[in-house]
Amino acid sequence: MKRIFKLYGTFVAQHCKRLMEYRIDFLTGAFSFLINQVINILFISIIFSQIPDLQGWNYQQIIFIYGFSLLPKGLDHFCTDNLWKVSYFIVRRGDFDKYLTRPINPLLHVIIEDFQFDALGEFIVGIYLVTSASIKLGLSFGVVDILFLIVAVIFGALIFTSIKIAFAALALWIKRSGSILHMFYMSSDFARYPVTIYNNVIKTIITYIIPFAFTAFYPANYFLTGANPLFNIGGVVVISVILLGISICIWNKGLGAYESAGS
Amino acid sequence: MKNPFKTYSAFTKAGIQDAIAYRANFLGFFIGEIFYCFVMFFIWKAVFNSSNSPTFMGFSMIDMTLYLFLTNITVFLTDTDSSYAIGEEIRDGSISMRLIKPIKIDLSLLFFELGNKIIIISMVFIPIILGIETYRTIATGGIAFDIVQFLFFILSIVLSYLLSFYLNLAFGYLAFFLMNLWGFNMLKGAILRFLSGGAIPIAFLPIWLQGTLKIMPFASLNYTPVMIYMGKYTGTDLIYYIGLQFVWVIAFILLCKFIWHLAAKHLCVQGG
Repeated sequence: MKRIFKLYGTFVAQHCKRLMEYRIDFLTGAFSFLINQVINILFISIIFSQIPDLQGWNYQQIIFIYGFSLLPKGLDHFCTDNLWKVSYFIVRRGDFDKYLTRPINPLLHVIIEDFQFDALGEFIVGIYLVTSASIKLGLSFGVVDILFLIVAVIFGALIFTSIKIAFAALALWIKRSGSILHMFYMSSDFARYPVTIYNNVIKTIITYIIPFAFTAFYPANYFLTGANPLFNIGGVVVISVILLGISICIWNKGLGAYESAGS
Repeated sequence: MKNPFKTYSAFTKAGIQDAIAYRANFLGFFIGEIFYCFVMFFIWKAVFNSSNSPTFMGFSMIDMTLYLFLTNITVFLTDTDSSYAIGEEIRDGSISMRLIKPIKIDLSLLFFELGNKIIIISMVFIPIILGIETYRTIATGGIAFDIVQFLFFILSIVLSYLLSFYLNLAFGYLAFFLMNLWGFNMLKGAILRFLSGGAIPIAFLPIWLQGTLKIMPFASLNYTPVMIYMGKYTGTDLIYYIGLQFVWVIAFILLCKFIWHLAAKHLCVQGG
């Protein structure tokens, strides 16, 4: 364990050097993220300029859910961004072999090799939106609530990580799975709206199959209404642990099936 | 002069093979797009249910549904890899291989993508259009399909694709000067999503902004074909917007030629 932390430190240092080399790249990336957030908020504002509430949810509540959704997403984005590269091109170019030849668990190696500072933008915007919406709604957070918040963010991030591991592992069979991962990842956007607006098929899909509703709406629902902590917070933990288990199984099967795509 | 189609058809064949080889990737993406459309549909349904008015800023629920599906299919069809493909080749130096061959770089990429598009059209476009028309017939209680409008839509979408291709190519050429394009690609994506009406229908924005956006090249990317299909642009409007698309395509082809001319002179291959 100590060795892994030491390795992580080395990787972080390496990464910082690369970041300095391409700092304009980093700044433009962060800036474009901000533009996207502004567009999304603008979209919500335009909708609410025409209607008083969205099936019982008011503007500030929707903003709270939106802001909350950025926290687990940002945490995962910060830590496990390299999985994207596996699914888009590391396997296809035959570069995956290097992970198999090093004396460290390949999955762990992939994850600690890279991290994304851009994700801090997600985090900051998320915290800002959650705080401002909480103040306007007059929400009060006790010690238990803050503990629940931290748990929900960490385990919510694990749901993202698990989905990414599972679909990155798909590349070990089909060489390139980036687009499929992208599509599943993007579907997390739908968890930013109250699941009550969807029909049962979609509700079931985003609750149990690709359970992004647990990364945003369900925990946010608890903080907004205090309803059903067992399901809204406990569910995040249970679902994320199950999902992580499944993902690691898929990854390991993928390693077994992997044939190098050498060129 | 040799027939260019004969020279470049080999690239189209390679494009078809490429699309077939990665068909799982493709189909997965497509299913995701459909899922996305349905979810947006429910969000809009909730909006219409919460509203007292049957229209939302001039869009009925039927309009909104058509808009969602058409925008997605248009983005899917006019999507291009040219910026990424050329940016990567410049970054890793393999661009030099293209420079020594007696072919034009833009046409070889274009014809390669054409092969990809043939597969998309047969697997995705036709079923979606059939689905949209079935919905429209049931929802409006009569056949609203107009063949002339549809042909204009096809023309418009071809222009959109060409514009998208050359706009992205011009962008990809920036890698000659910047070397690493990742951040700029993200920035381009974010700005295009907004300016092209992909994120928010242009009709929902303030009037002064609408006027500006409609003249800029980005609305030509997908807003114009969608509006044509929906019958929102007719008569002189239709001719005007298709003409505008045409002008922008020419402008970006010239821009690409110009940047290429500049860049080829001071090409510095990274790690080459």
